[in-house]
Amino acid sequence: MDAIDCDVHCAPESYEALFPHLNEYWRQYITEAGIRVNGMAHAYPRTIGAPAPANYPELADRVLNRGHVRFVILNCLTGFETHRNAYFAAAVASGLNDWVREEFLARDERLRASIVVSTISPEDAVAEIERVGEDRRFVQVLLPVRSDLPWGHKNNHAVFAAARERGLQVALHAWGRAGRAPTPSGFTTTYLEDYLSNQPIAQAQVLSFVSEGVFDRFPDLRVLLIECGFAWLPPLLWRFDKDWKGVWREVPWLGRRPSEYVREHFRATTAPAHLPRDPVLLDQLIEMLDGPGMLAYASDYPHEHGDGLPALLERLSDEQRRSVMWSTAAELYGLRRDPAPSRGA
Amino acid sequence: MRRRVELVDCDVHAQATEAMLAQYLSAPARRLLERYGRRTPRVTEWYPRARNAGMRLDAWPGKPGHIWGSDPELMRAQLLDEFGIDYAVLEVLSGQDCYDHPDFAAEWNQAINQWQLEEWLSFDPRLRGTIAVAHEYPALAVAEIERHAGDERFVAVLLPASAAEQLGSPKYWPIYEAAAAHGRPVAFHTGGYVDHRGAGYPSYYLEYHVGNGIVMQSQLASLVAGGTFDAVPGLRVVLTECGVAWAAALQWSLDAAWELMRDDHPRLERRPSEYVREHVWFTTQPIEEPDDPKQLVWAIEQAGIGERLLFATDYPHWDFDSPKQALPRAMNASLRRAILCENALALYGLPPERAVT
Repeated sequence: MDAIDCDVHCAPESYEALFPHLNEYWRQYITEAGIRVNGMAHAYPRTIGAPAPANYPELADRVLNRGHVRFVILNCLTGFETHRNAYFAAAVASGLNDWVREEFLARDERLRASIVVSTISPEDAVAEIERVGEDRRFVQVLLPVRSDLPWGHKNNHAVFAAARERGLQVALHAWGRAGRAPTPSGFTTTYLEDYLSNQPIAQAQVLSFVSEGVFDRFPDLRVLLIECGFAWLPPLLWRFDKDWKGVWREVPWLGRRPSEYVREHFRATTAPAHLPRDPVLLDQLIEMLDGPGMLAYASDYPHEHGDGLPALLERLSDEQRRSVMWSTAAELYGLRRDPAPSRGA
Repeated sequence: MRRRVELVDCDVHAQATEAMLAQYLSAPARRLLERYGRRTPRVTEWYPRARNAGMRLDAWPGKPGHIWGSDPELMRAQLLDEFGIDYAVLEVLSGQDCYDHPDFAAEWNQAINQWQLEEWLSFDPRLRGTIAVAHEYPALAVAEIERHAGDERFVAVLLPASAAEQLGSPKYWPIYEAAAAHGRPVAFHTGGYVDHRGAGYPSYYLEYHVGNGIVMQSQLASLVAGGTFDAVPGLRVVLTECGVAWAAALQWSLDAAWELMRDDHPRLERRPSEYVREHVWFTTQPIEEPDDPKQLVWAIEQAGIGERLLFATDYPHWDFDSPKQALPRAMNASLRRAILCENALALYGLPPERAVT
């Protein structure tokens, strides 16, 4: 079956790979400070899988030339990391986008990518979207699900405006903001808890986008949640709708129930698919989700999340499987099988 | 005459004013309170509630010196008598977001418990209390638990859902050990020190309030993955006012992640979901409301918590759940009975019959 893989990672082995795209000041800064690419690029747990592909031959060998993937969306997380220097964040984002373009996008028409932007300065993020966003091989703006201020906040709306002007969507990917605790009461003491923290954080972001009226202002915006799970969606929406009925006066700009915004505007990738083993419960969950219409396939190569996806696909009809593997992402990004793929505005 | 117990409300808020508690404080603590006030800002200061300060409109007593939840007579009329509630478990939240100096924190919680005892537990035999403790100072908390452990009317130890560290932190284990040793569950109530570090501070009460359920998800993950239930095998926890329906999805993700990374948790002896199904109770309010009520029943079954789900009204808060309406008709009679009464009797060891006059 044809597929669109919504989350494949690539990462430079070191910042030296970006040097052709950085000015002398940043080359020297990186060299003298001994800044290294963070381990985020190298998978978790470290013993699972290989590092993210650092060049096109590796990507072709390990992903593109295996299976039947028609399109791959590349997500480079190297820019997510801890740097609090806004100027550095902007320079690295530009360097990564240029690197992704030259090393990958230019070499294979199956490839698409997310635009890496500063996650510190919305102004710089807008500038980067303006710089590369006309290149139709970039399909969305990549943001870390972990943030200092929820992404729906009005301070970030300029980013969404810049994205929509160019027909781009937005993706929130797990992780980001290392060095900042992921829970309301501080740091987790194990990797597993840190890993699972992405799911509650994604829920908080869903609340933010809806409550702030982002989708009233940007009615064509879609937000893809990557690597944040999805089984938590139904109970969250039940509670969100219930509370909204009680306190809607606080957010009178919402014209519809919160769940209606979420179902229309959010999508989620299938990695991880943390699901019940019992097929009866799995069927219930699919019904609670109103079917798999919000789900988009992702391998999250080179990261591993267990065997939830095949168990899910087994419970779906052929048409539903096609929607997960192909249509959800195709509609999100305006991708077509043939002829030369293009993105709708 | 004796009556068979049919309805237990596991989350009722008695609310003390500062003046009510001040009378129980030592002179230095009272002076500190008068001159400097609490160190703790209230969450309502940054997430104001849209109407009527978040309370039931009819819950303000109109008596001098009283506020919502401070008058036992009004509560008895509006809750116990109105709905025929046999037992109501009080949770006094005045110490939940306490980051005061330990000396003050200890006195403050003592005052809460003494006020609870004198003004409420002695007022109506249907009332049960929870022991408020200075949770950031476990030795002080343990002393407070021991002070009241001999009084059966205190049925649980009360802690906030969010504290300075994650709830699975060994810092808090002495509190859990003391509670377990005295046969008391620990009730974690939504609220406390909620620093929105994962996604940042939301803008609206709506987000904050829905977010209470999200906060509890990471706390339950911490309790399980932190090895708390292996360290304190007698610990029973009651997750209060945080929703219910997410409990299945959290167990699926804990189990799936554990399958991949068992070596990250060598101290966990069993699958994460097994701990949840043995050690964790939930209160109903604010129970989720799917469009199709049968899906709520599914969610309870999926989570395996039908025997550990406790009815709660959350009186006198705005989102009060009426015993007459909160549980959907899709729920069968035996599950309904378990939630409304039997589960709470078993957990708290309450008598199944009570004297009525």
